[in-house]
Amino acid sequence: MGKLEEVPLEVLRQRESKWLDMLNNWDKWMAKKHKKIRLRCQKGIPPSLRGRAWQYLSGGKVKLQQNPGKFDELDMSPGDPKWLDVIERDLHRQFPFHEMFVSRGGHGQQDLFRVLKAYTLYRPEEGYCQAQAPIAAVLLMHMPAEQAFWCLVQICEKYLPGYYSEKLEAIQLDGEILFSLLQKVSPVAHKHLSRQKIDPLLYMTEWFMCAFSRTLPWSSVLRVWDMFFCEGVKIIFRVGLVLLKHALGSPEKVKACQGQYETIERLRSLSPKIMQEAFLVQEVVELPVTERQIEREHLIQLRRWQETRGELQCRSPPRLHGAKAILDAEPGPRPTLQPSPSIRLPPDALLPGSRAKPRLPMQVQKEQRKQTKASGQQDKTLAPNQALMVAAAGDACPPQHMPPKDPVPQDPVPQDLAPQDSAHHHSQESLTSQESEDTYL
Amino acid sequence: MGNGTEEDYNFVFKVVLIGESGVGKTNLLSRFTRNEFSHDSRTTIGVEFSTRTVMLGTAAVKAQIWDTAGLERYRAITSAYYRGAVGALLVFDLTKHQTYAVVERWLKELYDHAEATIVVMLVGNKSDLSQAREVPTEEARMFAENNGLLFLETSALDSTNVELAFETVLKEIFAKVSKQRQNSTRSNAITLGSAQAGQEPGPGEKRACCISL
Repeated sequence: MGKLEEVPLEVLRQRESKWLDMLNNWDKWMAKKHKKIRLRCQKGIPPSLRGRAWQYLSGGKVKLQQNPGKFDELDMSPGDPKWLDVIERDLHRQFPFHEMFVSRGGHGQQDLFRVLKAYTLYRPEEGYCQAQAPIAAVLLMHMPAEQAFWCLVQICEKYLPGYYSEKLEAIQLDGEILFSLLQKVSPVAHKHLSRQKIDPLLYMTEWFMCAFSRTLPWSSVLRVWDMFFCEGVKIIFRVGLVLLKHALGSPEKVKACQGQYETIERLRSLSPKIMQEAFLVQEVVELPVTERQIEREHLIQLRRWQETRGELQCRSPPRLHGAKAILDAEPGPRPTLQPSPSIRLPPDALLPGSRAKPRLPMQVQKEQRKQTKASGQQDKTLAPNQALMVAAAGDACPPQHMPPKDPVPQDPVPQDLAPQDSAHHHSQESLTSQESEDTYL
Repeated sequence: MGNGTEEDYNFVFKVVLIGESGVGKTNLLSRFTRNEFSHDSRTTIGVEFSTRTVMLGTAAVKAQIWDTAGLERYRAITSAYYRGAVGALLVFDLTKHQTYAVVERWLKELYDHAEATIVVMLVGNKSDLSQAREVPTEEARMFAENNGLLFLETSALDSTNVELAFETVLKEIFAKVSKQRQNSTRSNAITLGSAQAGQEPGPGEKRACCISL
């Protein structure tokens, strides 16, 4: 225990192929194979495709397509000085040890500023809430500013509406919901927190508002976010419940926390074992807490709020529980998602293993190859490292710092990879292709 | 200083740090409790705290220092934060006049949520940035005097007056506590900390209760 979870390279490559297929046929997959998407999110999105997948899952990509030029417009507008002042103070205080954000005035911090400022202009009645900064920072680690902006919009409006608004009512309600759900999940922990009279806000505020990005080891953060984008806030609740259960869920553990201070301290220095990627994901996936339970509890807490504190001052729209709900809520027919690679090769660039001929953007090349394949011609397989190049389009790391995410095999001519092994070649034919393989992978 | 129930102390005093975002609350906390300072400490979201035990005369006092987000928006969720606090450091950045201009608002917030007898010190932080000063010492000192607040200028960066600030507040609290104990011994009643503070010792533990003034 304690060894980093490592996905074997071959498995990673195959996952990447499957994800590329899904992303290229997103609407179909969401309509008919959503459960499979969910399963793959639970297994973890391949790092090279994470940024893109998050955009698709969250609907950020759709938002961008629907609002061409909007971000640029916001980006070029002067912001409200009162917000800019606060935002500026926070730029060097997010993930300060991450190479992207370490330089004052560096483009990581600049992009963070741009995204947060844009939001205050997009939703002036919301303004800026400090917890949005770590959220935006995590997004920026995976995608450029414009894309990150729209994903932030989706998080603030669809996944966690009201979390960052004035009065912070939504987070208070969720604290009560969390505590209430805890009773069934871990009666021992619940009783202890009750006895110690520890307000949920004393431990869950940073957890929930930052979607655990400041709490868990990084690999766990990414796994949680993969599931969160797919399934919504119930993942956040489940993670909270799992942590509480394992930190305070037994008489021995509780014995070591005899005071309010000691208890909160325990919740702030959680055992690495319970936060470890494999353990945590397993627990989260298995915890039987559903959207329905959350919504039911929400109504109960809302009613209690109205009885004791009057009406809510900030009415937020109901939250949407994940990618499917967000998609279904989109009005009207819309154009199918166009995959848009952000790496375009210059016309005469030579790729390893390819004959010299006029180059086209990678996506179009792939389409062409599929078509020639379908018509029975011998095809040149897309080399794994080429797949990575396309896939890495969503990666926001500044080029000079971009180490290859995975060791890229140095064989330019992939003769060992027979055409039929590449899952994406089958993508046009049927959504049920390769299904039986999809257990471990 | 060890944590846990074996530690020998007579009192636990909860002290809260309040003030605008970016004035240096988190660094005052880390300077006092861990002798650490960082230019890039993370934005505080939610609640942070740390402890340090100091000797006041012959009494060992465990200071429980609480820190939270300074942004306006977070005012909505801080009543749990103030509960049971016997001391407060109201911090402003003496290089940013705006953070001083809102001190009265913070005082109001404090008195709305905490005990009226809470010991308060006004703290002008970042005294190391003398060239960038925007709040004259005398002005802040006068305000503190007129409002019954203690006052000091500190620098979490170079440690100036940080120890003194916390110790002064703790001594003041201790003085009040001692006085109250004298009074109540006479009347044969001890005022205990409010149960909600949750700082009473567990069953079978030998610790003084946290006392609310």
